[in-house]
Amino acid sequence: MTAGGRLPGPRWRLTGALKLGGLALVLALLVSLPFLTGSFYVSLATQGLYLGLFALSINLLAGYGGMITLGQAGVSGIAGYGLAIFLTRFNWPLGVAIVAALALTVAAAFLGALAMRTSGVYFLMVTLAEGMVIWGIAQRWNTVTGGDNGIRGVTRPGFASVYWKYYYFTLAVVALCVALIALVVRSPFGLTLRGIRESEGRMGPLGYNVALHKLVAFVVAGVFAGVSGLLLAMDNNFFSPSSVHLKASADGLLMSILGGMGTLTGAFVGSGVFVFITNYVSGYLTRWPTLLGLIFVLVILFARDGIVGAWNRWVWAPLLRRAGQAEEAELAKEAAREVASGLLSGPPAGVGTKGGPQ
Amino acid sequence: MPVTGRAFVLQVLNGISFGALLFLLSSGFQLIFGLMRIVNLAHGSFYLVGGYIGLSVLRAGGNFWLAVGAAALSVAAIGLVVELGLLRRLRGQAMPEVLLTVGLSLIFADLSLARWGGDPQILPSPPGLQGSIHLGSLTYPTFRLFVLALGALVAAGLWLLLSRTRIGAIVRAGADDQEMVMALGVNIRAVFAGAFTIGALLAGIAGIVGGVFLGLYPGADGEILLFALVVVILGGLGSLQGAMVGSLLVGLIDAFGRELVPSLSYFLLFAPMALVLIFRPRGLFGKATT
Repeated sequence: MTAGGRLPGPRWRLTGALKLGGLALVLALLVSLPFLTGSFYVSLATQGLYLGLFALSINLLAGYGGMITLGQAGVSGIAGYGLAIFLTRFNWPLGVAIVAALALTVAAAFLGALAMRTSGVYFLMVTLAEGMVIWGIAQRWNTVTGGDNGIRGVTRPGFASVYWKYYYFTLAVVALCVALIALVVRSPFGLTLRGIRESEGRMGPLGYNVALHKLVAFVVAGVFAGVSGLLLAMDNNFFSPSSVHLKASADGLLMSILGGMGTLTGAFVGSGVFVFITNYVSGYLTRWPTLLGLIFVLVILFARDGIVGAWNRWVWAPLLRRAGQAEEAELAKEAAREVASGLLSGPPAGVGTKGGPQ
Repeated sequence: MPVTGRAFVLQVLNGISFGALLFLLSSGFQLIFGLMRIVNLAHGSFYLVGGYIGLSVLRAGGNFWLAVGAAALSVAAIGLVVELGLLRRLRGQAMPEVLLTVGLSLIFADLSLARWGGDPQILPSPPGLQGSIHLGSLTYPTFRLFVLALGALVAAGLWLLLSRTRIGAIVRAGADDQEMVMALGVNIRAVFAGAFTIGALLAGIAGIVGGVFLGLYPGADGEILLFALVVVILGGLGSLQGAMVGSLLVGLIDAFGRELVPSLSYFLLFAPMALVLIFRPRGLFGKATT
């Protein structure tokens, strides 16, 4: 990520061109994927795309807004269950059901408003509890949610029923969402959000409505999480409590930290690794969930800026320096550092934290 | 469903005894947070692993009290290793500490599944505490009454420890001002390790109690963690009185919720949490940040 607010000079153009080239290459690869390989890997890629969007929604909230959530699967589950219920119980047409389900995620505003009364680790605790309450309701309210069995019969759009068509559909939707998120992040709103992450106490006196910014971020992130929930439900033709569980939220958080918080690409790098482990490595290693947990622990201990951060630090920065762009190289390293230090060691829990057991 | 007088008393007892179980869990959670500022999201895993270790001891022919001892000590040992080996490296960094415990909970969940399988298991009540006691016209399971007493005992013990002993004074001082306590020559690292170990030990005991009450199964860790977190959010992070009052509230709400609206009992859990967050976000007994 280059620093905002600098005048575009020749150096900027070189790194910018390299990044654009990389993006074009990745896009070309994604578009040609169904021609290169069979249904198995295309389906995995589909999964990687919507899980990446899910991780990105967490990243938007955590990496940019400094609000680390462990309840995002609950929010995406509201959309997933909404779609499944509208389709199978009410027999609504798919388009209407999708719009209605997304509208439901705006209800996440209420969850967000509650969680925002706290911050830091307390925020994490509250979102975890909220997500698990949604899970509990999904699991117990048999007549509506089908309980543990979930809801079958979620349909894909008619034009995207075959696996490769659904892949292109997912690719288009996710690409659109990423473009929107990129806009949000670079907008004045996104910059304010980063300001809040860095120093919440100063943004208020500067005249920013901190609470409103955080709430809007929560809702925006919630809608994107909702989109990923819809894509998941349509991909599996099915939605069940396991997609809402704390584990799903933790997986999403793992993806976004592993990839690199506060970066757009990180979420997808993280989801790629995740899908690779859950679908491929799992064929050889029965205890793959332990591997995921170990990766989580190791990343927190040793590599908080994630894969994208490591790339910036060890590959990108030296490359730039060799090309005679020491300043750019420093910026790349700084970006990597910022993610690790600014976010993860962030401020202590917000509210009710002073004083111990009495 | 109408609640008759007798059914009402029954649910109150159910609620209080479940509350006692929640207190075993949340008091350890609060002890750890109050002193070390660590939100231990692996607390549910400590609970589940404790229950499973008890199960193994019982299967190997050990008696119930041996199982309790083994579970408590093994989970305490696990807690000590986690604290000395991992959390100590991150001291003072609130968020990485929490996230580390999230990673650990994923590992514990998977290893428990590997070792003890996916079928739900129920621990038998210990001999002497099986069957029911007649209280007037009411019959009530003896074990649940025992848990109620155990909860009260642990509450009293913790209160005495914290308010009447030198160790308790150090713990309270450490919660308020770590640097000053260290400057006074107290080995605060040892106190931290001790607090974390005791918190884990309590979770291990809770696991056995929960194994008899609710059964052990993959996912029980996350479910009980939710209850513990709601207790803590209601009562106030780091406060022992908060854990006590919160546990009773959540226990009672859950007992009546299950009876009256079984399919939406989780929503009843959410409502008081929402109210507290709206009107008193630091919880009923939480101190304000200064």
